[in-house]
Parts: sequence; C-alpha cells; structure tokens
Amino acid sequence: MSIMSYNEGDVMAMKRKDYVAIAANRRFGIQTQMVTMDFQKIFPMGCRLYISLARLATDVQTIAQRLKFRLNLCELKEGRQIKLYTLMSMVANLLYEKRFGPYYTEPVIAGLNPKTFKPLICSLDLISCPMVTDDFVVSGTCSEQMYGMCESLWEPNMDPEHLFETISQAMPNAVDCYTVSGMGVMTHVIKKDKITTRTLKPRMD
Amino acid sequence: MALQDVCRWQAPEGLCPQLPQAGCWAVPSGWDPPTFLRAHGPSLAHGTTTLAFRFQHGVIAAADTRSSCGSYVACPASRKVIPVHSHLLGTTSGTSADCTTWYRVLRRELRLRALREGQLPSVAGAARLLSGLLARYRGLDLCVATALCGWDRSGPALFYVYSDGTRLQGNIFSVGSGSPYAYGVLDRGYRYDMSTPEAYELACRAVAHATHRDAYSGGSVDLFHVRETGWEYVSRHDAWVVYQELREQEESVEEEEEGELVSLARPASQSGSRASRYPLEFCAETEAL
Repeated sequence: MSIMSYNEGDVMAMKRKDYVAIAANRRFGIQTQMVTMDFQKIFPMGCRLYISLARLATDVQTIAQRLKFRLNLCELKEGRQIKLYTLMSMVANLLYEKRFGPYYTEPVIAGLNPKTFKPLICSLDLISCPMVTDDFVVSGTCSEQMYGMCESLWEPNMDPEHLFETISQAMPNAVDCYTVSGMGVMTHVIKKDKITTRTLKPRMD
Repeated sequence: MALQDVCRWQAPEGLCPQLPQAGCWAVPSGWDPPTFLRAHGPSLAHGTTTLAFRFQHGVIAAADTRSSCGSYVACPASRKVIPVHSHLLGTTSGTSADCTTWYRVLRRELRLRALREGQLPSVAGAARLLSGLLARYRGLDLCVATALCGWDRSGPALFYVYSDGTRLQGNIFSVGSGSPYAYGVLDRGYRYDMSTPEAYELACRAVAHATHRDAYSGGSVDLFHVRETGWEYVSRHDAWVVYQELREQEESVEEEEEGELVSLARPASQSGSRASRYPLEFCAETEAL
C-alpha cells in the first residue's frame, strides 16, 4: 500500500454562482482497519473559508495547524481577512517548501471572498499545483469514483438545497464503491449569510 | 477394487486430468511464476470475513458478501459460501477464481467417490482430498483459505483447509482479513450447547462487527446451517442494518429478551445495487453566521 493510501481520505467541493459546498468523509483508519469515525478533515480558515485535506492523517493535521499559524500572522500584519486567492497561494507555498520531501496530502479549498462574496473552489496536488474550476473538485483515494458521481450529478443551476442534495448523494455513493473509505460524511454549504453544517450517516462497512 | 478388476477399468492417472499437472504450467521462459504474476498478472480478488463453528445442532457458516479487487468494490453482493453436496458447504476466502474452480473440482471428485463407494465421503475425507489437490500446486500463488462445514456419520464436522496443504479440525474457524474482529466476538459468545437462534445471532453479530472495522468486508451477511438433514440457506441481511440494530440493542440491553435479535427478519436488498438514492439521514445540523 502506498503512503498516500495509508490513511485514506476523500474530499469534494462543488460550486454554484453564489455558494459553495464542501464535503469530506470522516473515517480515520490505518490501512484496512478503521480506527475512528469522527476524524476532522475540514478546517475553517476564516469566515466562509474552508480547507479540507485528505490522505496521510499526520500531514492533514500538520498542514492545517501550520496554515492556521501563517494565516493568523498574515491577518495580524494586514489587519484584514485574507482573500481566497491569497490563501490558495499560501497553501501552495507551504506545500512547495517541501518539494523534495512532500507532505502526502492534497488540499481542497472552498469558500467565498470576504468582501465580494464571490465563490471559489480549487484543489492542489501534493506539491502545490493549483487547479481552479467552476463546477467541482475532488481529491482523495477514491477520486475516480467521485469524479464519476460528480460528472453524473452536477448541474449548472442549482439552488443551495439542490447543491447539498447533490453533494450528499455523490459522496456516499462514491465511497461505497471503495473499500477503504466511508464511515460518515461531513458537509458544509457556505452561503453569504449562513453556513449549514450537516453530518450524514451512510453505510458504515 | 474388485469391480474395477472385473470391468478392467483404469482410474485416470492422478486427479483432475483436465488441469495441467503441477510443474507443467506454461510460463514465459526465464520467469519465476509467482514473480511474473505479481508483476504482470491481474489484481486478484482478496479480503473477506467468513466464519464457521460447530455446535450441538450442526455447523453454522456465515460470510460477508463484498468482493474487492484491490481497493475497488467489484461486487457488493457475491456469494462466498459454496455448497459442495447436500451435506457439505465450504466458506471461501482468498482468490475468488481459485476458490470457485477448486470447489468444482472437489465436487466432481466427491461425486465420483460417492458413486464408487456407495456413500458420501466424510467431511474429513473431503478435507483431505481438497488439501491433497491444493498441495500439488504449492508455490504457484494459489490462495484458497476455506472452511469445510458438513454433517457426516460422526455428526457435525468442521475442517479448515489452506492452499499450502494445511488441514485442521476445530470447533471455530474464521478466515479472511476481517477474521480477527470476528474471532473476538465468537470467542465471547460461543458455547457448544447453544440453541439454534443463539447460534444464528452470534454468527450475524460476528460478521457485522467485522464488516464495520475491516475495509475489505461489507455488503450483507449470508448465513447457512448444516443439519443432519442437509444444509439450509438461512438468511441474507444487510450488514449495516444488522450492525445498527446491534448497537441499538446494546444500548437498551436490559429491556431486550434473550434471542430477540433473530427478528432481524427484515429482508435485505438481494440485488446489491449500487449508486442507489441514499435516504439522507442526518446526525446533526447546525447553522452559523
């Protein structure tokens, strides 16, 4: 088993005109053995800004903590909330610092800009190549299954409830086809005026 | 045998004349077969939870139904307990292709034996036959880990056979990647003098707990019972539903009656269809901002 699938993880994010949704599974396991079902993979990085990290669990936690440290310093220096593209660059920088001994995790960022409330979703590979899209991004061990579900279910004009429904169907059905995945899904739907957090209970086997 | 002499009939040289003899596999020259298969062969199906135990009313065999190919779920509703004859079942684990093929060979050989000898061979004899067949292919990466569950003249019998030729008799066996979890549950609840409903409940519970923890086990729980009158397919229940019910039961254990769990008579989905519409069950919903 490769280091990237030692502790698995699956993340996806979907975008609509004024809101985004981000979802991650909640399993923490060591190879085939499941250890807990409530492992945090989505971290808030500010108002309406979320980053989610999949794959190696120790790197997930390290990056989240290091990023939060840099983000706090940046916000103190600048006196304002960070913008999404800046956060994306900050993550890219953090990952590229370890270009020849990388962190084994692939982040997904989703959120709304603090001033303009324009949505953004992007994913980065483990050595910081960013990819910004207008529909959805996926990252994790069962990315092929997630791509399949997202391609089938994503539609351009969805309202927040429909977006939530889509991501809530895509994620559990994708992880069901993958052995080393699953055990609950946490979703956040981020709108201008509120963030709705829901925990789903799909098959736990 | 006398009849053989009278008819001048020769038994064929060795067993399974249709299959290549051990040592005659066609391989690219210069390559070692296990290395070749590992490097270039297809990714073979592995990983399961199967269990079997003997008790006063027969032998129980239970298994999950997930067939995995590497990390991909190839089939969520496969059958891992294979009938051999009316009083013999085998639980299969390891490579699915190897298990189904060798069980067909075993079925053929046992049928021939039954015709020649006038009675079905004992479970011990069937286990010896299977382990002898497999031992000839030792070192060629066959993976068949199976528990033969049957009822013969000596009563309920259970044998574990592995493809390196291991053959063990015992009261409880669990085979597969989920077996450590199943053993934990079985060791807690097993008694030889259990009633039949208790045995069904123990087997379902063990497989359900294993499917929860082990990544390569899941889907449904198949339950078989071998009695004096033959084997019987008791039930197939969704493993996730069973596990949830067990958790609920444990939480209110004082109010439940003994053996109530057998009323998991909710028929599970037989089709094992995937990508079905999920009933969205929320644990929690919070709103911020």
